[in-house]
Amino acid sequence: MINDEPDARGLASIALQTFRDSVLPAVPAERRFEALMIANALGIAERELAAKPDAALEARIPQLCSDIDAGAYDAPERQADLRKVLWELTRARLAISNPRLLDPAKLGAA
Amino acid sequence: MTAEPRLLDETRLPRLEAWIADKAAAERVTVVDEGPLSGGAISLNLAVTLEIEGGAFAGRHEAVLRTGSASGVSASLGKAQEGMVLRAAFAAGALAPEPLFISDAAGGDDALLGAPFYIMRRARGVAAGRKVVKADQPQQELAREMGRQLGLIHSIKPGTAGLDFLSMPEPSPGLQCERDYRDWMGRFAGTDPVLAYGLRWLRLNAPPAGEVVLCHRDYRTGNYMVDQGRLTAIIDWEFAGWSDPMEDLAWFCAASWRFGQAGREAGGLSDRSDFYAGYEETAGRRVDQEAVAYWETAAYLRWAAVAIQQGMRHTSGTEPSIELALTGRMLPEIEQDLLRHLDSLAGRTLFGRTA
Repeated sequence: MINDEPDARGLASIALQTFRDSVLPAVPAERRFEALMIANALGIAERELAAKPDAALEARIPQLCSDIDAGAYDAPERQADLRKVLWELTRARLAISNPRLLDPAKLGAA
Repeated sequence: MTAEPRLLDETRLPRLEAWIADKAAAERVTVVDEGPLSGGAISLNLAVTLEIEGGAFAGRHEAVLRTGSASGVSASLGKAQEGMVLRAAFAAGALAPEPLFISDAAGGDDALLGAPFYIMRRARGVAAGRKVVKADQPQQELAREMGRQLGLIHSIKPGTAGLDFLSMPEPSPGLQCERDYRDWMGRFAGTDPVLAYGLRWLRLNAPPAGEVVLCHRDYRTGNYMVDQGRLTAIIDWEFAGWSDPMEDLAWFCAASWRFGQAGREAGGLSDRSDFYAGYEETAGRRVDQEAVAYWETAAYLRWAAVAIQQGMRHTSGTEPSIELALTGRMLPEIEQDLLRHLDSLAGRTLFGRTA
C-alpha cells in the first residue's frame, strides 16, 4: 500500500484542533451541545487510531467470556484474579473513550 | 440539516382536535402546537395547549403530547401503555403528570398520529441532571421526598386494573433481569468479559423470589422535574414493570446519575440515608441493603444493555445520530462503575452467600 501522509490519526488530530480553536468559539449557543459531541467523537477517533491493540490478548477474549459463563471463575479467589484482568481491559478502553474518568485510585494497580 | 416534518400538520391537527372533543364530550377543542420539548432519546414530546369548550374538561390546559415509535430499546413500553402506567401512578398519589387522554389501539386511534400517544398535564421546572444537582448544600428534603414518592409508586401491585399488559418476572426478578439484559446485549455478552462477569454475578447472587411491585425502572436524577428546589413531576415512565422494589432504590443511587456530585450518593442530591428514610415513611417496608447492593450491580448491567442498544440504533443505520453513537461508547465508564461496585462488595455476604 502506498503511504499517504498525514494518516487517519493525523487528520483526526488536526481536524479536532482546528474545530476546537476556530469553529467552536463561533458556534451559536443552540448548537453548542452538538459541537461538543463532534469534538468528543473526533477525540475518541484520534485516540483509537493512536492505540496499539494487543492482538494476542484480544484473541483470548471470546474464550474468556465462555469460561466465565461456564463458571470457571465462580470461586471467590478466582473472581478476585479475574477482576484484576477486567480492570486492566476496562482501563485500556476508557483511556480511549473518556480518559478523564480513569479512576486515580487504580492507577498503577494494573 | 433537514427539518423534522411537523407532527401536527394540517390534516392531523383537526383530526386530533375532533378526537379530543369526542373523548372529553366537549363542544369544541383547539390544540395550540407550541413546539417540541427537549426530551429522551426515544420519545417525541410536544408542548401543546388545549382550549376546551364544554364538557368535564372545559378550560385551558397546558399539556404535553407524547408519542414516538417503539424503536430501539427492547424494554420500552408503547406510549399508550406508558399512559396507563402514568394513570395508575397518579391514582396512587404519586407526583406523576396527570394523563388526560390516552390513545386506544383497539379503537383505531393509532392511525391518528401514526403511533400510540397520550396527552398529559405539563409540569413546571427543569429535569436536566446538572441543573437539578447544582446546590451548595446537600438537598436533604428533596432526597427524602424522592424516597417518599417511590414508596407511593411501590404501593401499586400486580392485579391493578389496566396494567395487565405488564409481564411478571420468572422465576424471580433478579433471574428475569439477567436473562433480559443478556438478550438485549446480543453478541456483546459473548465478546465483552466485563459484561459476561457481571451477568454471571447476577445469576450467582440473585435474591430469592419475593414481593413484586410496580417499579418505574428509570427513577433517577434527570427523570424528574424540579422547580425552585421542589419536586413537580416524575417523568419518563416507559420502562416501568413488575419487579423487586429494591431495584428502583439501587438505580436512583447508582454512580451513573450523580452528575458530578459523586459524594451525594442519592442521585447527586444528598446521602442515601435521607432517601431511604423518605422511602420507609410511605412504603410500609424497610430498605433491604443487601438487595440494594445486588440491584446496584444489576443497574450497571441494565445501563450497559441500554447503551449498547442506543449505540446499535446508530450503527445499524436505522437512526444515524452522533448522540446515540457516543452513548454506545459509554460502555467502558459504565463498566468501571460496575467494577468499583463489585470490588466494594468483595467478601461481603449477600443472602447467605459470599459475593
